[in-house]
Amino acid sequence: MTSVPQEIPLEQFIVLSAILFSIGVYGVLSRRNAVLVVMSVELMLNAVSINMVAFAVYTAPTLFVGIIFAIFIITIAAAEVGLALAVILRVFRNRGTANIDEIDTLKW
Amino acid sequence: MLASLDRFGPELAVMATAGLVLLADLVVPRRHKAWLAGLSVAGLLAAALWLVILVLRGRQASFFDDSMALDNFSIFFIFLFIAVCGTVIIASLDYAPRFGSHQGEFFALMLLATSGMMLLAGARDLVTIFVSLELTSISQFILAGLLRDDKGSEAALKYLLLGAIASAVILYGMAFLFGIAGTTRLVTTNGAPSIASTIAAGDAGIRSALILSMVFLAAGFGFKMAVVPFQMWTPDVYQGAPTPVAAFLSVGSKAAAFAVVLRIFYEGFGPNTFVGNDWKEMFAILAAVSMCVGNVMALRQTNIRRMLGYSSVAQAGNFLVGLAAISALTNGRTSLGASGVVFFLATYAFTNLGAFIAVMAISNRTDSDEIADYAGMGRRAPIPAAVLLFCLLSLTGLPPTAGFIAKVYIFNAAVQADLVWLVIVAVLNTAVSAFYYLGVARQMYLETAEGLPTLVRAPWATQGILVVAAMGVLTFGVYPIPLIEAAQRAVNVFG
Amino acid sequence: MIEQFGRAGFLLIFAIAFPLIPIAASVALGVFRIRPRKPDPIKSSVYECGMVPVGDALVRYNVRYYLFALLFVVFDVEAVFLYPWAVAYRALGVYAFVEALIFIAILFVGYVYAWRKRAMEWI
Repeated sequence: MTSVPQEIPLEQFIVLSAILFSIGVYGVLSRRNAVLVVMSVELMLNAVSINMVAFAVYTAPTLFVGIIFAIFIITIAAAEVGLALAVILRVFRNRGTANIDEIDTLKW
Repeated sequence: MLASLDRFGPELAVMATAGLVLLADLVVPRRHKAWLAGLSVAGLLAAALWLVILVLRGRQASFFDDSMALDNFSIFFIFLFIAVCGTVIIASLDYAPRFGSHQGEFFALMLLATSGMMLLAGARDLVTIFVSLELTSISQFILAGLLRDDKGSEAALKYLLLGAIASAVILYGMAFLFGIAGTTRLVTTNGAPSIASTIAAGDAGIRSALILSMVFLAAGFGFKMAVVPFQMWTPDVYQGAPTPVAAFLSVGSKAAAFAVVLRIFYEGFGPNTFVGNDWKEMFAILAAVSMCVGNVMALRQTNIRRMLGYSSVAQAGNFLVGLAAISALTNGRTSLGASGVVFFLATYAFTNLGAFIAVMAISNRTDSDEIADYAGMGRRAPIPAAVLLFCLLSLTGLPPTAGFIAKVYIFNAAVQADLVWLVIVAVLNTAVSAFYYLGVARQMYLETAEGLPTLVRAPWATQGILVVAAMGVLTFGVYPIPLIEAAQRAVNVFG
Repeated sequence: MIEQFGRAGFLLIFAIAFPLIPIAASVALGVFRIRPRKPDPIKSSVYECGMVPVGDALVRYNVRYYLFALLFVVFDVEAVFLYPWAVAYRALGVYAFVEALIFIAILFVGYVYAWRKRAMEWI
């Protein structure tokens, strides 16, 4: 097992992850292009991965479960992005746009 | 390890059938795609049979090193999911040709989503919960857009983007839960530390982190349960997705989400721990808001599927009443609130499936989901209209239907848990919901059908399913004791 | 702690200064009229290894690449799972070996599916 990096307290990782997660949320809320929204979601997932690995190293150094969790997050993020691109492609072919403000046939 | 695989059998059977269907789809010619439906139902039956044998042998236990559980709770939900998936597959035989060359994918994805839900019902580990949740969600995202038309792909895009955000939010909550407990197991049977034992120990220093994690989990699962303020996708997907998929989503996905919420909050966080009141209050508020917003929005809908979408948001609020009232006990042990949720979910499965399949049978003939086009449907399509009427009565909560018993049961639980204000809100909302549910009934039976053609009858399989659903709603409305007892046994595993 | 950052910081300062100094020098020589200024079309065009640049860099890529990217990602992520298994292979034994075989078999089903659905043909 990797040794705990004594000089860097756990809080710094949590703060880093919180900042990254917030940037992702901001991107999701402010971006208009569906592909960029998906990229922002990826940012949120990566923030969680950082959190998982940091917690795994600091709080349960003999268990690898946090690191395994991060691997599963990577896998499922890849599946989601692949699917998201396929759906965006389909919408683009039907509508000629990937701008989520203009995709508004279904509302209220 | 083989004993674990034995208990894992039903899920394995469904997953293996999904793979088989996918491969068989490559060789089966297009005219004979209905065989794939037969193969899927056979796989589901095999899974159900395996589960029955497991129950008869009394194999209930925690397995795979405590990451899964085969207990009365998961057994109840696995049977429910198998029944829902089988019903939707049989009822969609009439609809499936619309998928063209993608019929095989439709059946395979239905099975994969079902296996994910079955896993969710038994999952006891954060990693397992997350992976099975994503197995369900990703299959459903594809299913929502399977028709590849304009509305379907829009619905799929909205569902997918919001679903991906919800997953990220759930994960963020899970990361903190893992950081607090140092393990991902919700409960352990061998005395090793678990999330439940960490919370039960009640160290005040972890309280704020726990509440943070709880809020994130509730927000993420609130999306899957379709409660306000995370309900945005529901009406769009119910309207845009293929009708059988919408039927499957409205029942299966919601039941799976409530099952996992019961696992995490009831079994993991616990109702009597130092954070118990926090999450109960949170769910009480979400319940009230969901019921009000769902019903008010449903009032102004002109599209029946959209109306059912908002109605399902309101119903989710009703289920949440049970979660808020979880500490009301009967027999000194069984949680009235939790068993109410489980019982309500089972009756809701019959009711909403019946309603959606009736809508599918009608709209497949008229090519319209507008409520205005249901004029005189009582004469034009007698059986689907009658079943739809009956199911709408049950959704409203009028006797002699299962929906009535479920509402009375869950309101009783709320009264016993001193949540009288919530019951008042819920009863007022029931009155509001009667307007739009019975509006459809009025359109079907009191509007004249002159000049409108009588519709071609739906195939016998669909009619049979409709009658079975209506019989179920009626039976559990008149004689609900067996189902209530099953629901109480299911939640006793947490008590 | 801080001296470790110090070493990295030295590298950082160097990395920033290295490209900035020539640019600043070029600007300064221009300002003081030391360097000649005789632009012509070929001189001021974008340097592209001697080729004449054509069009905008932000082109729309052919959508067919998407399928290849997707298939690549599938097998790329497969490797993420196989690496830890391979590292711990001796400790895990036969059971994990069978599990890995099942894992690869499932991927193989997906591969056959993609192949038969003509996902790998350049349409």
